[in-house]
Amino acid sequence: MASFGRFLARRTAQGLFVVLGVVTVVFALRYVTPGSPVDFIAPLDASQATRRRIADARGLDDPLWLQYVTYIGDLLQGEMGYSYRSRTAVAPRVFAKLPATLELAVAATVVAVALSIPLGVVSATRRHALPDKAATLFSLLGISTPNFWLGVMLVILFAVQFDVFPTSARPVGFLETVGNLLVVAADGPLVSTAWPLVHLDRLVLAAPLDASGFVADGRTWVAHLFLPAVTLGTYFTALITRLTRSGMLEQLGSGYIRAARAKGLPEALVRYRHALRNTLIPVITVVGLQLGTLIGGAVITEAVFAWPGLGTLVIDAINNRDWPLIQGCLVVIGTGFVVVNIAVDALYARLNPQVME
Amino acid sequence: MPRLAPRRWLSALTGRLSPRTLRNLRSEFRASGLAKIGVLLVTLAVLMAVFAPIIAPWNPTTQDRENAQEPPLGFSYTETQVQPGEDGGVVNETVRVNATVTHPLGTDGLGRDMASRVVYGARTSLIVGISGTLLAMLVGVPIGLISGYYKGRLDDALMRTADVSLAFPSLVLAIALVGLFGQAAVAVPDPLVVTGAAAAIRGAVSLPGGLTYPTGMPETFTLPGTVILVVGIVNWVWFARVARGEALGVSEEAYVTASRALGGSDRYVIARHVLPNSTTPILVLATIQVAAIVLLESALSFLGFSGATLSWGFDIAQGRQYQTTAWWIAAMPGLAIVLTVIGVNLVGDWLRDALDPDIEGEGGGV
Repeated sequence: MASFGRFLARRTAQGLFVVLGVVTVVFALRYVTPGSPVDFIAPLDASQATRRRIADARGLDDPLWLQYVTYIGDLLQGEMGYSYRSRTAVAPRVFAKLPATLELAVAATVVAVALSIPLGVVSATRRHALPDKAATLFSLLGISTPNFWLGVMLVILFAVQFDVFPTSARPVGFLETVGNLLVVAADGPLVSTAWPLVHLDRLVLAAPLDASGFVADGRTWVAHLFLPAVTLGTYFTALITRLTRSGMLEQLGSGYIRAARAKGLPEALVRYRHALRNTLIPVITVVGLQLGTLIGGAVITEAVFAWPGLGTLVIDAINNRDWPLIQGCLVVIGTGFVVVNIAVDALYARLNPQVME
Repeated sequence: MPRLAPRRWLSALTGRLSPRTLRNLRSEFRASGLAKIGVLLVTLAVLMAVFAPIIAPWNPTTQDRENAQEPPLGFSYTETQVQPGEDGGVVNETVRVNATVTHPLGTDGLGRDMASRVVYGARTSLIVGISGTLLAMLVGVPIGLISGYYKGRLDDALMRTADVSLAFPSLVLAIALVGLFGQAAVAVPDPLVVTGAAAAIRGAVSLPGGLTYPTGMPETFTLPGTVILVVGIVNWVWFARVARGEALGVSEEAYVTASRALGGSDRYVIARHVLPNSTTPILVLATIQVAAIVLLESALSFLGFSGATLSWGFDIAQGRQYQTTAWWIAAMPGLAIVLTVIGVNLVGDWLRDALDPDIEGEGGGV
């Protein structure tokens, strides 16, 4: 007997194993790349004694297994070391960039799911009609278009030619926008872009409620988020439309649908209650598998729109060979992937309890 | 004990398609207009890549600042130029910049011919796309077959490795690896140019309207070495998963048990029975992967990590600098990517419809 809780526990255990693997790979990557960390940390004209001291202080001469254990221990305490470049702690910088990337990924997913499932259903139920042809063409274009190019073209069209949207940047975030509703306290803003993002000690509920800041910031936030979200969401909209269409066609042709129609169930019930539900199961599997593409897509979308998220951070870190920062980003990205994947699996198990066996 | 000659391993890997499979492919091709469009687009891209020095109207690297930012055919724009006036002052003069037949797709910010750059860009995309896919296949398929055939602990270990590998998005992993190990861009001599074949053919062709073919195409071609390796390595998982699934299914079949009972070694059984059964899904997956890797390469070139300077992604990046004045610099190479990837995807759809393998839409884009 497999219960949902048990299934979740097993998936979490597997997930932890994958996270450990991610951490191991990230740890190992540093040792297969040329150059000693001391070269990055020490000044160019540092004496042998100075170099020695740096190596000692950071445990760089310890046996590899000890460094590995220390690394994992640090990570468990939320420690990711210090950037070579800016000499600041890595963890706060990485976590401070997380909301921007999450906003982008969530917005793209919402756009994709909201558009693609109705599109796929219409396409399948009115096969070979005009909407089907349009949806099929759109989804073929969508899965074949590199999203960074789409981003550049959208900027040229909507920001340069017609000044409808801003070209780039993210002046305000979601948290700051919502923070407006709660209050602005005397000793600084409630939400900031540096870690810790939220200063709860500054929280004083304002009365009367003033929504003008919220509305103004909300407009700016949506305006800046719109083009990046469309850029990132297009591939997924196209992919899910394609999958929903083919899945619906397969389901609508199967025996239980004919039986349901034969016994006189209303067509809407047949389509949405029976066929769509079974269509969504494989769709969710593929979407889960494509999460890596979503994160990779977010990285390049951020590069196009100068969106200050994890992607911009990791590209900068790689260009600077800033090892601790690269490692921090990779660990957070890998862990995020695992967490979302477990969530997708849980949703999957809810829809199709057979997989819990 | 039966043994398999090396030649048979090779033919099993490249896929000896059965007569029935070939028949399906043919009839599906005849029935489907989209399949024909796909094959046409892919053929065009391959021709551009192979015969670039013959097809390209100009040398793609020759700069001509006098004619920079020329629009593509059918477009024109006005520009304000500062001219020296009569009495030593300056006069603002409005000049209309028209398209010319010599540069059908316009020129870039340095006056290089966009059409030639688009033709040459096909080389980078297709070489990386095809060799990256072959590499991913060579790594992934054996791992998947072994994993599915032997099952048990080995299978668990290999599949958990695959899970870890999947937890890094391919683009992020590729950027990290290229950033760390360098680009290893290799200049390969262009056989059509160094043998003089391109110049001879171009000299023999006469163009209408008094146009002449310039000679002197680039003698070498830059291959992004690390990118080929990296895209191959980061995409092995997809092949491993498909090969494993097939191996799991086949290894339970009675004929496999019979083959083993007759004394067939594991190697023999895998090569003779398991691998040939998985060629169809692997073939379909390989097509999807070519599309995914072409997109991945363009993304890496766009971000400046690949080291290739004649690449569609690279040109889109430089087109961004001219986004307020010359949209076509970014638009043209992007259209080339879209058309090529549509072609590959349509060929993939054709194979999938004809061969009906049981795989999900794996691979992913950028």
